[in-house]
Amino acid sequence: MLFDDPWGSPVIEFENVTKRFDDGAPAVDGLSLVAPDGEITVFVGPSGCGKTTSLRMINRTIPVTSGTISVDGQDIATTDAVQLRRKIGYVIQHAGLFPHRTVVDNIATVPHLLGWDKKKSRSVALELLERVGLEAGMAKRYPAQLSGGQQQRVGVARALAADPPMLLMDEPFSAVDPIVRAQLQDEFLRLQQELGKTIAFVTHDIDEAIKLGDKVAVMQAGGTLAQFASPAELLSRPANDFVAEFIGRDRGYRRLSFVAADGLVVSERSTVSTDASADDVRRAAGDAQHVLVLDSDRRPAGWLAVDGGTDASTAAMLDIGTTFTSSQSLRTALDGALASPTGEAVCVDDDGRFVGVIDHIQIAKYASTEGARQVPT
Amino acid sequence: MDWQYLSSNSALIWSKLVEHLYLSITPILIALVLSLLIGLFSVSFPKVYPAVLALSSTFYTVPSIALFVMLPGIIQTNILSPLNVIVALSIYSVSLLVRNVVDGLRETSADVRQSALSMGYGGIRQLWEVDLPIAMPLIFAGLRVATVANISMVSVGALVGIGGLGELMADGFRRNYLTPLLVGLVLSVVLALTADLVIVTLQRWLTPWAKFARQA
Repeated sequence: MLFDDPWGSPVIEFENVTKRFDDGAPAVDGLSLVAPDGEITVFVGPSGCGKTTSLRMINRTIPVTSGTISVDGQDIATTDAVQLRRKIGYVIQHAGLFPHRTVVDNIATVPHLLGWDKKKSRSVALELLERVGLEAGMAKRYPAQLSGGQQQRVGVARALAADPPMLLMDEPFSAVDPIVRAQLQDEFLRLQQELGKTIAFVTHDIDEAIKLGDKVAVMQAGGTLAQFASPAELLSRPANDFVAEFIGRDRGYRRLSFVAADGLVVSERSTVSTDASADDVRRAAGDAQHVLVLDSDRRPAGWLAVDGGTDASTAAMLDIGTTFTSSQSLRTALDGALASPTGEAVCVDDDGRFVGVIDHIQIAKYASTEGARQVPT
Repeated sequence: MDWQYLSSNSALIWSKLVEHLYLSITPILIALVLSLLIGLFSVSFPKVYPAVLALSSTFYTVPSIALFVMLPGIIQTNILSPLNVIVALSIYSVSLLVRNVVDGLRETSADVRQSALSMGYGGIRQLWEVDLPIAMPLIFAGLRVATVANISMVSVGALVGIGGLGELMADGFRRNYLTPLLVGLVLSVVLALTADLVIVTLQRWLTPWAKFARQA
């Protein structure tokens, strides 16, 4: 049987799945989608759209009314529910840690349920504690002694303890403050790069969905799927008004995150070295009001205003702001241009050496013509 | 205060103290088992809980002296049998404890419940490893109240002839002799404080996490 074999990262498939509650109203209505293996599929939508219900039907804590959910082709209705759940890591908002168990025992819950050797469970738990960025000293603490962010990290470690091929995550980062949330999201993405689990992730926050999702399922009231697409496609081609409105007004700008900057044509610009005199600066500038100062390795050091009449060694230089490389996104490039005193973004190579500049007008032009074609479907 | 009384009656005092302890703690143990069973039943079948609650509150309003007198007639025991006190106090203790057991078992938050279920918990194992441990602080709180209440109520049993330290008090009262009355009084207070301390210590040892959870 499938569950006895080590699972790779499986595909989760919804086929015309409907869930009706006792009053007959559908919570999820005819949902069909394929969550690809080893990728993050985000279910996003307003409250009451059936996203959490969809998630809970995967581990059978909510039964489907009709339709099938299959994992690597096997209908989950034919599996043993308890065995299934122990193969699926689960992370919930507020972590849902056991208040009466220490951090290390919380993490070791599923190994404990699977009857692993105590020593092995503990060593796995301690390893995971470190992996989610907590100190070993936390192992003996109780959940109530941790901050919300720390509890959430323990929640992720607990979900990973038995190395399940799939993870279900229900608003795991919603209950912490924005700074901690961004940290947790970044670390989660880094972790997923190493682990490559098949992850179903629920959030009401479209920004989180776009940041984390390889695929995003936008759901709307009544439990129907409004659109299932990559974040870039969602931003460039929302399927209907509901999706467009849900994504929000600044989707044009956010879409730039998904367009590579490698197609931008940068231009030369007069530069001076850090040992240039005030006269050198004037000569190099010509008609321009600013020159770019490079250090001895040709790394951008800052912008210098010509009318200041100072040499390049002084502290009068303006901050260089954000630089970008061709492998980064248009959003990074545009941000660099907007923050620069000259309206120009500075392009550098992978070693940080100066390549060229491009101004915000050219970036915007590129984004609306060339960039639009780059959007993956 | 007649110190002579203490030395010449030390055996009697000791035996009344032991009897008092026996009469008050035995009902606690019986009640703990019964309320756990009734509590589990009430949590599994929530519809019966209001009836359980009404019944236990009704029992609790019956004065203890009335119960001591009525019980022999109902359960066919000798009027002087210590069983009367034990049964009566067990009923009171169940009335007190059931509420705490049920509240305790409902203490597990929806998040904890959902994650327990999602990790493959359920049934008896979840009850034993999750719900019951989380219920412990409330169950212990009930145990403390019931134990102290029992220790004071056992003294009332002296009025029907079975009373542990209460008999010393009744004796002093009857003979207008202050010393036995004081000895009975002080010892029952000391007994109540000691029993409470033992339970608190036991609770700290069994639920080391509870003091943090309260702050959270």
